[in-house]
This record gives sequence, C-alpha cells and structure tokens, in this order.
Amino acid sequence: MQNQEEQVADGKRAAFEFEPKGEDCSSSILGNSILHSDGVGADLTQQQQHEEELAISSLQQNVPFVGDKEPLSALAAEYQSGSPILIEKIKILSDQYAAIRRTRGDGNCFFRGFMFSYLEHILLTQDRLEVDRVKNNVEDCRKMLQSLGYVEFTFEDFFSLFLEQLDCVIEGNESSISYDELLNRSRDQSVSDYVVMFFRFVTSGEIQKRSEFFEPFILGLTNATVEQFCKSAVEPMGEESDHVQITALSDALGVPIRVVYLDRSSCDTGGISVNHHDFIPATGNPPNAADGSSETFNPFITLLYRPGHYDILYPK
Amino acid sequence: MIDFSRVQKELQECSRDIESSGIRVTPKSDNLGRLTGIIPGPTGTPYEGGTFCIDITLPDGYPFEPPKMQFATKVWHPNISSQSGAICLDILKDQWSPALTLKTALLSVQALLSAPQPDDPQDAVVAQQYIKEYQTFVGTARYWTETFAKVSSLGVEEKVQKLVEMGFPESLVRSTLEAVGGDENLALEKLCSG
Repeated sequence: MQNQEEQVADGKRAAFEFEPKGEDCSSSILGNSILHSDGVGADLTQQQQHEEELAISSLQQNVPFVGDKEPLSALAAEYQSGSPILIEKIKILSDQYAAIRRTRGDGNCFFRGFMFSYLEHILLTQDRLEVDRVKNNVEDCRKMLQSLGYVEFTFEDFFSLFLEQLDCVIEGNESSISYDELLNRSRDQSVSDYVVMFFRFVTSGEIQKRSEFFEPFILGLTNATVEQFCKSAVEPMGEESDHVQITALSDALGVPIRVVYLDRSSCDTGGISVNHHDFIPATGNPPNAADGSSETFNPFITLLYRPGHYDILYPK
Repeated sequence: MIDFSRVQKELQECSRDIESSGIRVTPKSDNLGRLTGIIPGPTGTPYEGGTFCIDITLPDGYPFEPPKMQFATKVWHPNISSQSGAICLDILKDQWSPALTLKTALLSVQALLSAPQPDDPQDAVVAQQYIKEYQTFVGTARYWTETFAKVSSLGVEEKVQKLVEMGFPESLVRSTLEAVGGDENLALEKLCSG
C-alpha cells in the first residue's frame, strides 16, 4: 500500500495536503490486512480468473440488485466466443436448469441472491411452517448477537425489516405483497441493503458462535482470527462471500443452499461435468428434520457461481 | 438519508458510559449530521494527558457509509496528517460496517494512537521520524500533546475559540468558562452534559 504522501518522502513536505480520501491507505487496528480470496472450487490461473471477472464486471453497471428472469440461453450468449469448456458446461446446465436471474456484482451478490430466492420461494409456496421455523432461528440469532455483546440498536432495524418482508410474502395479511412488488422491493436499496446487513449479522454471529468449527477454514483463507475475519470479511458491506459465509448463513437459518460452479475446471478423465455443492445445515433445525423422512433434501435455493460472483438459477 | 433515530440512540449509549470509556460525542448543532468526538490520549503513550477533539461529519448514507472523521486537535502521529488531521484507518473507509458505531470508531481511533502503523502512513514525515528516530518522534508527539491537546495551557480567548470550534455557541462557552473558574476541561464536561 502506498500513500500519496510517500511519494514526497525524504523529509520534504508537499506544499499542500491531500484530501483524506486515501483509498490506498488502510491502517487497521487489527494489525492485519485480510487478503480476500474467492477461491471456491476453481483451479484457475490468475489471468484466466481475471478475464472471467472482467467479463462479469463489465456487465455490472446496469444490472439492478436483482434482474429479470432470463432463459438460460442468455447465459450461453454471453460466452458465444468464449472457452469451449464453459460453452460445454452451459449446455449441460441447460438440461437441468431453465432460467437465470442475475444479481449486481457489488460484493453483496450472494446475500442479495439468497434474499430474493428465499422470499420468492415463500411467496410461491406459501409455506407457513417454513416461515415459523425460520423466525425461530432468527430469534436465536438475535439472542446470540446479544450474548456476543453486540449493541441491540446496531442490528434491530435490520432484523425487523427482514421479519417484515417474511410477513409480506405470506398471503392474507394486511401487508401482503405481489410478486411484482417483491421484485420492486428487492431492487430498492433501502430494503435490499437492510436485508443484506441482516444476513451479514446472522452470518457473523453464527461464525463466532461456532468459532472452533470455523477457525480452520478461516485460517485456510487468511491469517486472521475468527473475530477479525468477521469484522473485516463478513460485517462490512461489499465484502464477498465464500464457503465460510455460505456455510454459516445456511446453518444459522437452517436453509439448504445449492451452489453450481461454472468455471474452467475439468475432470482429469476428460469428461466435462458441472460441479455443485449442497450446503446442508448442520444445525438450526433444518426443514424436514422433524418429519423423520430420510430422503435427500433438495435445496430450494440454487445459485450459480462464477469466479467472484453469484446469480440465481431456476431448475426445470 | 441519515438514520437520525439511530444517531440519537448512539449518543444516548455513548453518554451512558462516559465514565468507563472516556469517549464523548456531542452534536455541533441541532442538526445531528455534524458532531464532535472527544477522546482522551491513551496512558503510556506520548498522547497521555491530552484531550483530542475529532470533527465528525455523517454522510447521507450513514450507517451504511462510514462517518467522516478528522482530528480538530493537532496531533503528531504516523497515521494522522499533522496538517489536516486526516486519519488513515481502514474502518473509516472500506472496512466500515453498520455493525460499528461512532463510539466504537472513536475507540479504534484511540487504539490507533496507542499502536501507530508507520508502514501504512498518512503522514510520511512523521512515519519516517517514527522509524528512524523513535526518541525524537516521542519527544515531538509529547510536545504537540502538551501544546495542542491540553486546553489548560491556553489563554482565555484561545480557550473560548477552542470550545467554539468544537461547536458550542460562544456566549454559552463564555458563561460556562466563567462558572467553572476558567478550567476548560470542566467547562467542556459541563457543555457536553448539556
């Protein structure tokens, strides 16, 4: 990190001061700058990854927090002249998935994608049991944050706004909303950012609550302590989410999440397949836990991961 | 739009534990968008015994956007501009989170006073001195604390000016100073407690 003032070192002071914008200076009282890693599943050279991230980021400026549902062919069109592996993988995806809904690539895409996907699921299924179940888990999260020493006013507004949205997607309430209104709200910064912060608090609380479990994973990403990781890679807006954050959110709310990986990795055996990983809650009283059914639970939230970014996928 | 109800709660929380934290935050006017933060210099540092005022401006997006903080009191520190008071601290930039508060941010600034990071300087001259001539650095920092951060060394008009700069109305400053016999620290406490 180089500060502008460094360029005039040697004891000679510049005749004027630079504005305190200094994006390039970043003293941390934690004494530990965390290098962010997006290293989920992908085994890429940096150059390749950079190219793919560019391809995504150049499209971000005009993308709303959550876009419209697009047929999967829209994804294929994006890679028309791209890597043959990716084209092949998109072909495979199109057998299983019908549509994609893009999210804005601002570092909050995982949370925004999860938010829309979850509320959309409740709106379409009217699953009141799921709402009750998740509300119980939200209350546990609230208590956890209190016991971790978080001041209530720093998170209470974000919690109430999320609970409010849950009530709105259930029919028959005074506050019930339509599908279009859910989409509008998910594109409204004052709603979307609040819900993102709600998720960030829940994620941070879960990681700290089970710090022994998460510590080895965090050490694999950075040399930060669990608390430092939460303060620097979970709680600030715009910090991207990785395995650790997804696991924690899924566990805390008890909501399974499927992440489908679209990257250039291919099997040694020569065959191309699309990998996915199911995050199945380890705790948090997941759905179906009570009815004793042994069948594998299909996550109702599916996200498409491309290095550095998550969009929403819709199965056929 | 600043979330003023949250700022109110922050001010209440902060005033509840002034005794333990020593951190104060007071609005400069009825508009809660501009405030003054006050932190005591940490013991065992060249800043010990000093009272440091920090100008705080809340951006429209607060608490999603970080508060803008800048030392109003001159201070000699590698991560604080000796000229403008600009602070180089990650939580006031990209590492800010709505989970933080004005109080926790000021505590971080106070922690920065205790633990300078000359490798990531805001003020290159101070940082060079810190690295190459540590004893001189300590001497200068202590001298600056004595000169600028201890209001009791000032004349009456300077005291008035200083307190007015913190955002209190001049007539109130004068009457309060008179009431406490000219001790600015007492006056400040009185002004802060309203």
